[in-house]
Amino acid sequence: MTTAARALVPAPVALDGFLREVEAASGARAVLCLQCQKCTSGCPVAAQADIKPHELVRLVQLGARDEVLASRMIWECTSCQTCWTRCPEAVDLPAMIDALRRLSRSTGKVTPETAVPVFNDIFLGTVRQMGRMYELGLMAAFKLRTRSFRRDFDKLPAMLRKGKLPLLPPWVRGRSERARLFRRARQLGSEKR
Amino acid sequence: MSYVFYPGCSLDSTARDFRLSTEAVARALGLDLPELPDWTCCGSTAAHQSDPLLALALPAKNLLAASGRTVAVCCAACYSQLKTANHRIAAAPEARAQVAGVLGADYDGSTPVKHVLEIMRDDVGLGEIARRVRAPLTGLRVAAYYGCLLVRPPDVVRFDDPENPTLLDNVLAAAGAEPVEWSHKTECCGASCSITKVEIVERLAREILTMARDSGADCIATACPLCQLNLDMRQRDIEARSGDRLGLPVLYFTQLLGLALGLKPRELGLGSLMVDPMPVLASKGIVAGRGLAVAASVSVRGQA
Repeated sequence: MTTAARALVPAPVALDGFLREVEAASGARAVLCLQCQKCTSGCPVAAQADIKPHELVRLVQLGARDEVLASRMIWECTSCQTCWTRCPEAVDLPAMIDALRRLSRSTGKVTPETAVPVFNDIFLGTVRQMGRMYELGLMAAFKLRTRSFRRDFDKLPAMLRKGKLPLLPPWVRGRSERARLFRRARQLGSEKR
Repeated sequence: MSYVFYPGCSLDSTARDFRLSTEAVARALGLDLPELPDWTCCGSTAAHQSDPLLALALPAKNLLAASGRTVAVCCAACYSQLKTANHRIAAAPEARAQVAGVLGADYDGSTPVKHVLEIMRDDVGLGEIARRVRAPLTGLRVAAYYGCLLVRPPDVVRFDDPENPTLLDNVLAAAGAEPVEWSHKTECCGASCSITKVEIVERLAREILTMARDSGADCIATACPLCQLNLDMRQRDIEARSGDRLGLPVLYFTQLLGLALGLKPRELGLGSLMVDPMPVLASKGIVAGRGLAVAASVSVRGQA
């Protein structure tokens, strides 16, 4: 069914399992969407997206679980908050998309076209270990994992010369306390879910 | 008012010139900005995309450590994370209880968080800034670029009008500059994709840079380290791919304000910008021509 045809299907009266799941995980009231398309009109990445923001909400309403969780859009959203700011029904799309990202990962549906989960894992691993970002280490680890060695490599000499990429990692005190914080967040978060 | 400074990770690396210029301007205005000891990363995009509880707990750990003092922030992403954590923790008792479970201490969401622009407006005052200007930025046409996270979501940040903010324009005007009217004040630069999908960032940054230039701006002023990095560091690639010459310096607003307050380019880190601002600033008589270009190159060597 094309997206245009889907838009003609009446909104489900009973809450579908997927819709309920996404609403519970995000706090976003996706059921309220009117399909006015204000979100898509203001979205910086909609023009190149596989599923546009208003379509994403519609597919969640309709329970198109696999299509949504395997989409590129949930990883290309820049979290700019424009959609939510302008939505007449105050549907918190950024929170909904964050929940879809987690669901996509936990169900193994992540599209091979994105490197965002790899980046996020390295980023948070750095924070857990060191307390702050260590750009050189992050870039090296990311490039090793994604085999994207040439990208932005030309910027390295100038960034180093201008002192914008410190060579030494920023060790902040309290490493075991941070490890506990990360562990507790994961435990308590999964108890809730 | 008593502040504690939360620089955030970028201000110790890619945006060290934002930190340098913020601290220089604060000294010139008599603001005391002691750094929060042992602060940790706010978690940024990676945290809220991965683990909603971690995205509250990391900011809350820092906000709790501020012991009630107002947390002064430069980075729009840190600002957003800290304000969002405050908002959720204060509004939802179950979120507060969960965060307490993670931190082992209760935090009620009440530590005030202010971006340095808000401090300029509320605590220093634009009139006071104008009074302290010694070298007004006369004739410099500036595109004030706010980006996303300072202004959105408005109910959480309560910074300014989310569609047409004016605070940065007003600070620049107080420094004697001429803010231009333009359309892309709050458009997204794509910072969260800066490493994972550069094509998105280059397309969005090109639109912002082109609109600023076509609106008659001599330069762009930013209040966010991620916006600045994208518009400045990626500008040469954007020019090469589009065949369109931009040559638009992208400065931190604190660098421009510092010049107006009579501070030297070296004290403000002007030498570490990628697109050299000196020719534009010299053409307006804001900095002297040759002598300061030398000072800038010296400061580059000094910082490396």
